[in-house]
Amino acid sequence: MKYSVLFIATLLIATAIIAGCTQQAPAQVQQKEIKIGVIASLTGPASNVGTNMWQSAQVAAREINANGGIQLNGTTTKVPIRLIVGDDESTQAGGQKAATKLITDDQVDILVGGYSSAVTSAYEQTIAEYKIPYVVTGASSPIITHRTDIDTSYIFHHCPTTDTYGQYTTLFIDQVVRPTVNQKFGFSDSRPFRLALLYQDTAFGKGIQTAVNNTITQNKLNIVLVSQQSFRMGESDFRTPLTVIKAANPDAVYLGAFPNEGAPAITQGRRDIGLDTIYLSAENNDNAQFFKDVGQYGEGSIIESRFSPYTAPAGAVASGQSNFKTSYNATFGTYPDMMGASTYEGVYIATNAIGNAGTTDKATVRQVLITMKMPQVIEAMKDGTISFSNEYRESQFDLWMEQLAYNPAIGECRPFIVWPDNLKVTSFVLPSWYKPGSA
Amino acid sequence: MVDIGIILQILFWGIYAGCIYILLATGLNLIFGVMKVVNFAHGEFLMIGAYITATIFLLTGINPYAIILLSMLVLVGIGAVVERLCFRPILGTSKLNEIFLSIGLIYIFQNATAMIWSDEWQSIKSPYQGITVPIGSLNVPLDYIIIMVLTAAILCILYLFLKKTVLGREMRATSQNRKGAMLVGINVERMDVLSFGIGCALAAAAGTLWVVSGQVFNPYMGSIPAVKAFAIIILGGLGSIPGAIIGGLIYGIAENGAAFLLGGVWKDAVSFVILIVVLVLKPTGLFGESGE
Repeated sequence: MKYSVLFIATLLIATAIIAGCTQQAPAQVQQKEIKIGVIASLTGPASNVGTNMWQSAQVAAREINANGGIQLNGTTTKVPIRLIVGDDESTQAGGQKAATKLITDDQVDILVGGYSSAVTSAYEQTIAEYKIPYVVTGASSPIITHRTDIDTSYIFHHCPTTDTYGQYTTLFIDQVVRPTVNQKFGFSDSRPFRLALLYQDTAFGKGIQTAVNNTITQNKLNIVLVSQQSFRMGESDFRTPLTVIKAANPDAVYLGAFPNEGAPAITQGRRDIGLDTIYLSAENNDNAQFFKDVGQYGEGSIIESRFSPYTAPAGAVASGQSNFKTSYNATFGTYPDMMGASTYEGVYIATNAIGNAGTTDKATVRQVLITMKMPQVIEAMKDGTISFSNEYRESQFDLWMEQLAYNPAIGECRPFIVWPDNLKVTSFVLPSWYKPGSA
Repeated sequence: MVDIGIILQILFWGIYAGCIYILLATGLNLIFGVMKVVNFAHGEFLMIGAYITATIFLLTGINPYAIILLSMLVLVGIGAVVERLCFRPILGTSKLNEIFLSIGLIYIFQNATAMIWSDEWQSIKSPYQGITVPIGSLNVPLDYIIIMVLTAAILCILYLFLKKTVLGREMRATSQNRKGAMLVGINVERMDVLSFGIGCALAAAAGTLWVVSGQVFNPYMGSIPAVKAFAIIILGGLGSIPGAIIGGLIYGIAENGAAFLLGGVWKDAVSFVILIVVLVLKPTGLFGESGE
């Protein structure tokens, strides 16, 4: 017994010594490529947006690789980037599957993308578990980085949230629409502006509703909410809630809706209900299909936006947007949407972070993202730079409001930026058919 | 005090919504009455009808109300093929087979439609948009009047077909007693394919009226209306055509009334509350007979 213990101990010590003697310093293997995972909805109800995001990411990757790629520490030449797509199938389960596969099987260095707050938030636990930097470019709920039930410290939100939509739109109403209505109809400035809300009964719609209420309260705006009607996601018949809204005599209606809801809501409001007012919509409505669907009834309505298929702001980002649209169109034969634009930028943000870190070490890349101050790419940003806020790691966009004008020659409306002053190309006007509300 | 004009307007929207439900539910009930099969893919026939109408309208510019006939004819054909290839082989087997078969059909139709037309939301514009008709204190768009008239006309034709023609009588006989119908020499398999075809055609008519009213559509639009159509035929009584008509109207009006009084999120819920109440009080539905 004593000998056997001695034998085993000797064997273990010998093994350790041999192992120690034969262990060599790891060879400095030059990384051949940087793998960027793109999570997008390639199938399912959100596949239209998801495909746009994936194709936009490809445009960015092609441009970056055309310039050689990324310079890492200890390498003599630049390293190209390779995009690997993960289809979230527009579902929470699909998102979980895509994120897990990209992280564990494909072993990507950083993640970009994510559409639908519900889908994205479903796999944030996986991101927290593997501690991989993730630049979310398509989910609009602030919950993405505000939630406290899991660690979101590796998640960076490069997409305006519903808080921002609601705030910008309400301020625009107060600063532009309200004075214009008062002036045209000879109302006193003390007359409260009568705003109605028609919002989707989801985190998206409720987020807008909350933001509007908070903005009015916090800024003590002279705006009164005369009707707040909700509807289920995917609703296509808005006649009854619009009838109720019309009965409340609003000066304007703010729609917290997706494009497939916003276009019929405006059409039914003007055509069927006779609610001839200003309709304001969130930025996700700024896409080609919305303009096609809303037709002549979109005349005079407002969309809050940051990237449009049919217009670009005056100033620094105009040429960048134009080049991106041209490049995308040349490759795919269509035009990018705003989720595509932020995903295009997301690939640049990921590349910039790894390049500045000089390594793909995830903790180091995260630290670079936290302190990042990168020049704006194609979307107008606050102070002209992409940086992430300290508390919630959200980038700050410079949003604009555009007004739609009907073009009979093409049978569709086209947008013109009317606010803020540094981006606008024309001024807001009340349509001739506009009817103000009354108490 | 609520303005009576608003009540009337909401009632009008309820009747309009009821028209779509009536056509869909009547078709479903016709199929169930004759074949006793549960087809959850019935909403997909509405969706296909919508796409056929929109496509022909966009390609030819023909008045979309005129396309309703063509749309119904195409769906008679599609319905006959689906009945022959899918439902007939499993007829009389477990209900589970019918349920899973119809769920499979949902995916097949949705994906095939997405492949052909893409899965983007689409809409068309009626040639009569912008034209309104004064009815009492209301000023309603002409399209909705046409939709209501067309629905009534289709139901009248269906009534005459079922009551006055030999085929219609044979179909009713098969619905009432399949074995008895076979004993008196009725070709029940012929009745199956006919009822399935007509049921699909009614769904196609609902799809056409859906798109001409300016509502958006995509390949996934049929699922919710199909669930509601099932609730309507249970409410009205399984196999009862008058039950489907009354049930459809109740649902349309109740949904819009709930959206007005309680908010849009109650729109679907209130319909099912009505269904539960009716089933508790009369388990066979409003017009159903025990033993069906």
